Amino acid sequence: MAKAMLIDVSKCTGCRACQVACKAWNDLPGEVTTCLGYYDNPPDLSPNTWNRIAFYEIEREGGQVAWLFRSIRCMHCTDAPCVRVCPTGALYKDPLGFTAYDESKCNGCGYCTQFCPFHIPRLKDATVWGKGKVAKCTFCQDRVVNGLIPACAQACPTGAIEFGERDELVAEGRARVDTLKAKGYDEANLYGKNLLGGLGTMYVLTDPPDTFGLPEAPSGALAEVWQLQTLGGIGIAVGATALGLLINWLIARKQIKVEEM
Amino acid sequence: MADKRQELLMFNTTQRFVHWLHAAAFFVLMATGLMLYIPWFGNSIALGDGGHAIRLIHRIGAIAFMLVPICYLVFNPKGLFDAMKRIFTWDKDDLGWLRAAPAYYFLGDEEAMPPQDKYNTGQKLFYLTVVICMVGFIVTGLIMWFGKGTVPAWMFRWSVILHDLCAIAYAAFFLVHFYLSVMHPLMKGAINGMLFGWMPEEYVRRHHARYYEELRSKEVLGSKS
Repeated sequence: MAKAMLIDVSKCTGCRACQVACKAWNDLPGEVTTCLGYYDNPPDLSPNTWNRIAFYEIEREGGQVAWLFRSIRCMHCTDAPCVRVCPTGALYKDPLGFTAYDESKCNGCGYCTQFCPFHIPRLKDATVWGKGKVAKCTFCQDRVVNGLIPACAQACPTGAIEFGERDELVAEGRARVDTLKAKGYDEANLYGKNLLGGLGTMYVLTDPPDTFGLPEAPSGALAEVWQLQTLGGIGIAVGATALGLLINWLIARKQIKVEEM
Repeated sequence: MADKRQELLMFNTTQRFVHWLHAAAFFVLMATGLMLYIPWFGNSIALGDGGHAIRLIHRIGAIAFMLVPICYLVFNPKGLFDAMKRIFTWDKDDLGWLRAAPAYYFLGDEEAMPPQDKYNTGQKLFYLTVVICMVGFIVTGLIMWFGKGTVPAWMFRWSVILHDLCAIAYAAFFLVHFYLSVMHPLMKGAINGMLFGWMPEEYVRRHHARYYEELRSKEVLGSKS
């Protein structure tokens, strides 16, 4: 059965314990950052930051001001565009449902960084030479396959990050949305139940997805086009051409007698 | 020993140089490109550091590839403009070529084939494809090389797709190009034009009658010296 994480932003206090736990378990060095005038720190994901809390200050209808927090990390799409475009199989789907990563296979092409609709994988890249490795949240594969829960879920003090069977978390997420709606969060919603075949990271959101920088309709369409075209298109085009030429040769060499020039 | 007066210069030194530079770059780029993205073409060595090395070779090949139009323009602008003018000139004889082509290429029926220019209709189609794909390769390739993370994601994604469409067109057309230059019975000797520059006058008269007439009217038919 597919595993998933359910992140309930209404329970998140922005403490960043998950961010720190992620760094600690995955042995990722800290980053020197500067204060940019807002709370986000580091301000973006990077090869050494696979999970971070983003802070959103919004004004709801009626003038109510809210400060919202969302843990940004890999969404572990069931139908993951990054897996489709990865030419080496470094990114692959684990039987447990998450998008796993084998760094030794990565050749640094960075297609995943550009085809991911959530802009999650990040590449250490010296542009001219193209050497690099991608990095992203691994769903704590090493913990999960050994019966532990991901470090971020383990560290979360409020229960905002839950790990478990996807089906159960969907049911729980829906119940939480109903509860939030009853409490006056009219636009509460469960994000990711069906997107891209179903996300492995789902969110209970208090406000519409774009409030949290999440696309309403993330698409992997171009990744699919590329995969069909590269793997199928070249075979069909070159195969048909070669066949045509072979037929021509078989006929022409019998039919055409050319005098020496 | 062939009489030198019976040979015509079809491709000058620069044209032959850029052709073979193009060919060399094509083989390197096609081989490395296929290895990277198609499992059947040795994808197993394109993993990790091996993949990085192949991507690096692809970029070196790309530099040679980009030098093709640059060298042509710098060393023989007249030849380049002449070729461009010819491949963009189309008339009723091209329609005639399309009609006559099956009988011509399968059965060697030369009767219905209208007189052709320096490049026949098929060669013009090939040349046009090469020019369009070359622009496509270079623009999308530079975007992928230097634009990753700086250009919008949609632009990168379309670059990947268009780059590969160009590669598919190049691969298919290359087979036709290779076959017609060295394997088709009617084209015996055609390769000499690109190897040494010179073609038998008789070959030019039969395959490129319009060009032959053009040369005769300009009185440039003559000896090798």
